[in-house]
Amino acid sequence: MTAGQVLGTSLLLALFVLLAGCYGVLYCLARLRTSRRIWRSAATAYALQGVTTALLAFSPLDFWWKALLLASFVGYLPIPPLTWRLLENLHEPKEQHS
Amino acid sequence: MYRSQHLALKYFAAAMTLFGIMIVAGLLASTNYVLDGFLLNKLDFSVTKMLHIDTMIIWLLMGFIGSVYWFVPIELEREIVGVRLAEVMFWIFCAAVAVVAAVFMFVQYGPASEMSLWFINQGRKYVEAPRWAVIGITLVVLVFIYNVVGTAIKARKITGIMGVLMVDLIPLFGLYLIAFPSMTNMSEDQYWWWWLVHLWVEATWEILIGCIMALALMQLLGTSRRVVETWLYIEVGLVLGTGILGLGHHYFWIGTPSYWLGIGGFFSALEPLPLLGMVVHAVYDAGAHRMKTTNQPAFFWVMAEAFGNFIGGGVFGFMMTLPQINLFTHGTQWTVSHGHFAFWGAYACGVLAVIYLALQKARAAEQVDGAAWKWSFALLNIGILGMVGALLVSGIAQAFYERAMGGSTLQAFMDGQNNVWFVQGIVMRLVFGFVFAAGYVVLIYDLLTIGRKRTAAKVLQPRVAGGPA
Repeated sequence: MTAGQVLGTSLLLALFVLLAGCYGVLYCLARLRTSRRIWRSAATAYALQGVTTALLAFSPLDFWWKALLLASFVGYLPIPPLTWRLLENLHEPKEQHS
Repeated sequence: MYRSQHLALKYFAAAMTLFGIMIVAGLLASTNYVLDGFLLNKLDFSVTKMLHIDTMIIWLLMGFIGSVYWFVPIELEREIVGVRLAEVMFWIFCAAVAVVAAVFMFVQYGPASEMSLWFINQGRKYVEAPRWAVIGITLVVLVFIYNVVGTAIKARKITGIMGVLMVDLIPLFGLYLIAFPSMTNMSEDQYWWWWLVHLWVEATWEILIGCIMALALMQLLGTSRRVVETWLYIEVGLVLGTGILGLGHHYFWIGTPSYWLGIGGFFSALEPLPLLGMVVHAVYDAGAHRMKTTNQPAFFWVMAEAFGNFIGGGVFGFMMTLPQINLFTHGTQWTVSHGHFAFWGAYACGVLAVIYLALQKARAAEQVDGAAWKWSFALLNIGILGMVGALLVSGIAQAFYERAMGGSTLQAFMDGQNNVWFVQGIVMRLVFGFVFAAGYVVLIYDLLTIGRKRTAAKVLQPRVAGGPA
């Protein structure tokens, strides 16, 4: 790897996880405020993570790391909705009692 | 309050004192990067750095022990079985830490002999404490385990959280035994030493803080046991699933077989996924409670824990964990940046949240709020963000100029150290270190004063019969 490639790839990797975090937070905010605008922001964050994944495909990382990144990108998608649903289900009985 | 909760407050006081020593030692060590020859032959960089990282481990450990001693009596509805023994061990622990710190500062090093290993320094990063002190800490941990397990047995009550906590205490103790042996083969020594450092930090400590935060959330937000226990089981599964073999990211360049590159990189890459789930949980709770509780500082520190863990551990870790990148970043200030942020987010914020919770109850304050905690929260977090940002710039300069361009030669190392980006990053780290220190001063003021007025008001009210004194 050249110096530029090290810097570019590592920053893209940071952006990859950061955008996943943005997607998760925005998804939650959209659910809390039932806001379509925030939901679109969450979708945009996830789409940008996809763009980052695509850019990483052109990085000098080995094929298997790129495949892992692609799998992770797909894996991040259901985490916020699944976690949210789990939390709602867990809280539900308490709310029914009250 | 239970007697063990009074002991917990002592542990918190000791933890906060060591937190302060850690900051002072860190400031001294970082000044060495800016001023050549600073305190040379009086308090060398090697000593201040050692004090900085060792006190970090010990203050967090004391914070964890204090947190458990605070919550276990509430959880099991009875006093700790060996509370008197625990009190004795606390003072032995404090005395041992003080003696070790004094030896580090005034004796510093000795000849390459068994005597030095026993009485001065074991020379292994994070666990430099001489053997006699290691034996002392082992005894403290054994008494701690006895108290937790013995109390649960005596109370005939093992909740889900207590079950996880008790199982976690076995590796917490067992892995610490790796602090004892001295191996002459560097690769062998590093191989086992990482078991202690990594598996403590990214496995047993994660589970321990998970248990503590579960107990804290029940007290802070009134979250139901079913919710926190279910979440704890999921967290345990995910953290252990990714964290144990994530150990491999420390095995890349120490002489271990090359398959560790694949194992370490793969499991490390999975580590941010459970952290994202924690962020979602934090936002859910924040929304459900509309950012309002009776203990605002504790609530905000819990939130800082979730986000700090994700960004410090997840984002900063993932940036440099794949072997092809790690080849250039390993051992630079880049790693230091990640380490600072991850420890802060994953553990320090959680311990501070529990201390605020404990003080609220100890001072019988119905509501804990004010301006000071906001200042300390802001200064500490701006300080840590500034430090990790500055260190990241320095680390990138090292990876770029020294490693990738210079080919890691001695000349490249020297050029990297003199590079303007590296130097500016190091200076800014010191500046933000002072910001962090200012936050610590305000934090201590706040911890000493918060909720005290409420206590005075409560004392005037007639005591309600029943419950612990």
